[in-house]
Amino acid sequence: MKRDRQTIPIASIREENPSLRTFSFGAQLKALPGQFVMLTIFGQGEKPFSIHNVTETSFSMTIKNIGPFTNRLFEMNVGDLISIRGPYGTAFNQESGRVLMVGGGFATPPLYFQAKVLRNMDIDYLVNINGARSKSDLLYVSGFQELCDRSLIATDDGSLGHNGTSVDVMLDVLKEESFDQIYISGPEKMMKAAVEVAKSYDIPFQVNLERYMKCGVGVCGSCVMDPHGFILCMEGPVVSGADLDKLEDFGVSHRDKTGRVVSL
Amino acid sequence: MQFLGKKIPSPLTLASGILGISFSSLQRIISDGAGMVTTKSLSLEPRIGHEGPVIAEFEGGLINSVGLTNPGIHDGLEEVEKFHKEFDGVSIVSVFGGNAADFTELAEAVNHSSANFLELNLSCPNVEDEFKRPFALVPEKITEIVSAVKAVSKKPILAKLSPNAYDVAEMASLAETAGADAITMINTLGHGMVIDAIARRPVLRNNFGGISGPCIKPLAIKLVRDVYQRVNIPILGTGGVSNGLDAVEMMMAGASAVAIGSAVYDQGLDVFKTTRLEMEQFMETHGYSDYSDLVGILEEN
Repeated sequence: MKRDRQTIPIASIREENPSLRTFSFGAQLKALPGQFVMLTIFGQGEKPFSIHNVTETSFSMTIKNIGPFTNRLFEMNVGDLISIRGPYGTAFNQESGRVLMVGGGFATPPLYFQAKVLRNMDIDYLVNINGARSKSDLLYVSGFQELCDRSLIATDDGSLGHNGTSVDVMLDVLKEESFDQIYISGPEKMMKAAVEVAKSYDIPFQVNLERYMKCGVGVCGSCVMDPHGFILCMEGPVVSGADLDKLEDFGVSHRDKTGRVVSL
Repeated sequence: MQFLGKKIPSPLTLASGILGISFSSLQRIISDGAGMVTTKSLSLEPRIGHEGPVIAEFEGGLINSVGLTNPGIHDGLEEVEKFHKEFDGVSIVSVFGGNAADFTELAEAVNHSSANFLELNLSCPNVEDEFKRPFALVPEKITEIVSAVKAVSKKPILAKLSPNAYDVAEMASLAETAGADAITMINTLGHGMVIDAIARRPVLRNNFGGISGPCIKPLAIKLVRDVYQRVNIPILGTGGVSNGLDAVEMMMAGASAVAIGSAVYDQGLDVFKTTRLEMEQFMETHGYSDYSDLVGILEEN
């Protein structure tokens, strides 16, 4: 059976803010924006993470410290061994026209990766909206500025950019400009709102969904979405508008670690 | 064809533990060509199971140590009800308890559901630290649990056995005598361990796990044969089946139906469609008109 694990040392760690770090690894990973890897800390556990960047010889993930697993990861140092399997799942498509990206919180790494890929293929026009609770939670502010024709910011507390959400800014932008494609990645409630906006403007869109994932390879059933048995780790996490309409639990419910359905 | 008196369109069955949490997965797998689906093993209370990695691959298959992750019998049976609502499919509800009383309580809950069959998971290899030696290795436990469940169950009972018993045919015979209506076999083999040499660590967080996939197929077929020769109840054969010829072989050895698990990892849900097609092609080429014509027809040298 297929073997796709790599056991490698952490090559570098960059602190984005006290609860967000970018971990880089000196190995090749043939990944596309939106795909994820399963990361093992030996003796601790294994969790899925979106990829933030790849080069010919390296890849990286920006990770928020949210629980015991990431606490352990944040204690690790350059040179410590971790294990990676993947990349898994679907990626954002690569449109060449006028593209809008709407991101929220620490779900923006795949959008940064996508912006890099689109810029490398000479996209016509690229706008990014980067939303977070506060200025210090914003990721890749200068990175998005370099890559995008317009780079807009929204913070819930107004500490930088628009005082409000990235969806508020999205509404403003769409009043002025037209787009061929929208890419959305953020907390599910925010994505749900952004999807409604995209639909009202009749612009094709893709979202980057998240569910509890244990195996990452379509066998454990933890990430399955109802009512058609959509296997998010393989058939997602990037989902297009037409497929999203078939996922009745989008914005409504998810399954916990035991498989019980719980409201979002 | 029929299994335990129930008409099924194909002998292919989803094995317990694969994608079996949600009604939507179970329905999808029937639509993809399976004749029956087995839920994940449900316990009285919800279980998170083990930390990951819970699955590791090697040349011959997989090892897993999921640790009976499940939403509990209450929520699990709600999924079973949704599965049966306005949908034509045969379900096997797998249950797991720590003693005979747990199993009878679970069986009584299943009585009130629309489930077709009840499978007793007597053989999970991944929870020994919690529940001691798997019941399928202890003759008196097989008798005790199967008889206790038989006394209360309104559903036909399948006893799921372990390949790790010294005399699996004897264990099957005990289950039959105690009232089992069918045998499911085999659960995963071992424990096995897959090592990451660079890290000098086992890959699984739980260090070891049950072995499945192509490497256990010859063992499964031999054990199914042994049990077929010993008991008079049908066998749901499982262990390393990943294509139509494997399934035909399993039926020739004595299985009345065939469950697929690890092959979903390699082939996705298409495995049910392709395996069914391959079986039909084999039967047409070799002059078998019905799946049931294959059962037990092996001639030994």
